[in-house]
Amino acid sequence: MHPRRATLISFFDAEAGAERSRRVARHLAKCEKCRNQLRGIERERHELSACAAAPAIDNRQGLAGVRSAMATWQQGRNGAAASELKGRLRWQIETYFGSPALSVVERPGMRPEELLGKAGEILDVFLGPDAAEAVRDDVFRGLEWAGPTEETCR
Amino acid sequence: MTRKTSFDGIESAPRWILLFLGAYLLLHLLALYLWNATGQAFSVHGTSDGTATLSVTAMAAVDLWLCLLVLRSFPAGAPLRSAWTLIALAASAQAASGLLAQFLGVNWLLNPLAWAGQARSGLIEPFRRAALVGGGPVRLALLAAALLAALRVLRKFGFWVRPSAADWAVSGIVCLFTLCRFGEAGAASLAGRQLGFEDWMSLAGLPILCVLFLEAMLLRQSVLHMGSGLISRCWAALMCGVFLTGAGELALWVVPHYSHGWPLQLVNSLTGFPAAAVFALAPACLLAAQRRTIKPASDQAEDLATGVPALAR
Repeated sequence: MHPRRATLISFFDAEAGAERSRRVARHLAKCEKCRNQLRGIERERHELSACAAAPAIDNRQGLAGVRSAMATWQQGRNGAAASELKGRLRWQIETYFGSPALSVVERPGMRPEELLGKAGEILDVFLGPDAAEAVRDDVFRGLEWAGPTEETCR
Repeated sequence: MTRKTSFDGIESAPRWILLFLGAYLLLHLLALYLWNATGQAFSVHGTSDGTATLSVTAMAAVDLWLCLLVLRSFPAGAPLRSAWTLIALAASAQAASGLLAQFLGVNWLLNPLAWAGQARSGLIEPFRRAALVGGGPVRLALLAAALLAALRVLRKFGFWVRPSAADWAVSGIVCLFTLCRFGEAGAASLAGRQLGFEDWMSLAGLPILCVLFLEAMLLRQSVLHMGSGLISRCWAALMCGVFLTGAGELALWVVPHYSHGWPLQLVNSLTGFPAAAVFALAPACLLAAQRRTIKPASDQAEDLATGVPALAR
């Protein structure tokens, strides 16, 4: 089982606690994928530090440009994750309810967060809250999804 | 994603129940075959009346235990909490009825009521009657209430389909059977024949069985609308349990009309145990689904011990 991105970040920041750090470290020793992810986190940190040192944006046009660039970056990054999230949610619904249930739960053009909410709700009701929480964890395992784009770029 | 067939843990409960059911049916069918092949040379005995056999009682106890485990996973206020509470109560009614009938409701060596002479042995009959009421109409009424609560939730979440003509037809057959039974009982009363307490209890359960059948038909449509997932199997098992209960009642009425030689007790246990086993499958399937979420197949056993990599240092 790969540690989540959030766990890797807290590990990188030395905030994961001794026991968890040992477990993550042990995993990193044998997992190339997670080591790459940790390197990516390190790289992003350096880039952010460099951006923080850059001169502040002093006009509205510049700020809009930065926001637009961030939104584009976020959309590109989130697009694949959102598609993966929808696929995983569909698979969970098919596993626990069956294929016909998909037509009840999912409407055409439904956004991933809506599908997540609806699937979470029916799993809560029919499977119980603890099991539904475990399904949500399983869906998000190894997935880099930052949530709805509108909210993150506002 | 592949999954090995395992008989370990609570998630394997459906497999164990099916295994026991298969073995039970095989043994009973073998006994029936031998009885028939030997020219009915030996007598086949089950319980002496309409009470549940020990195997049915044991399965009801398993059902109750599994229902209590399921109930723990639905906190107060959860939409399906009331449905599962009623299902657990129905299972407890059957288990208690079986225990009363098998231990306190019969005059046998291990019954403490039979030790103390005439004064206490008079209590045996009330216990037997209480067992018949608990395992009959009370249990069916609890199940009917449970299915109603479940159907409400299924409807709320869009798993609701109007019953088809076939559903109405099957429910009609059960209603017709109920009318026939009442007609027969009325005719027997008019002819001056006394109806026993078991007959009255059986008759009292029939109108509830009609309602249960109609609910089971609606549940069938909802399950078809859901698909064949792990949760759907749980509701499908409940629906099958109701069908088998009805089929048992029908068989017990039809068999004596066509063949007087058939051992009714064996027919009773042949229909009673599968119904109890299928009812127990419902919470077992849900537990299996819940445990699956906690232990997904993709998970490997991880041994994460000490050791910090160079990158993190």
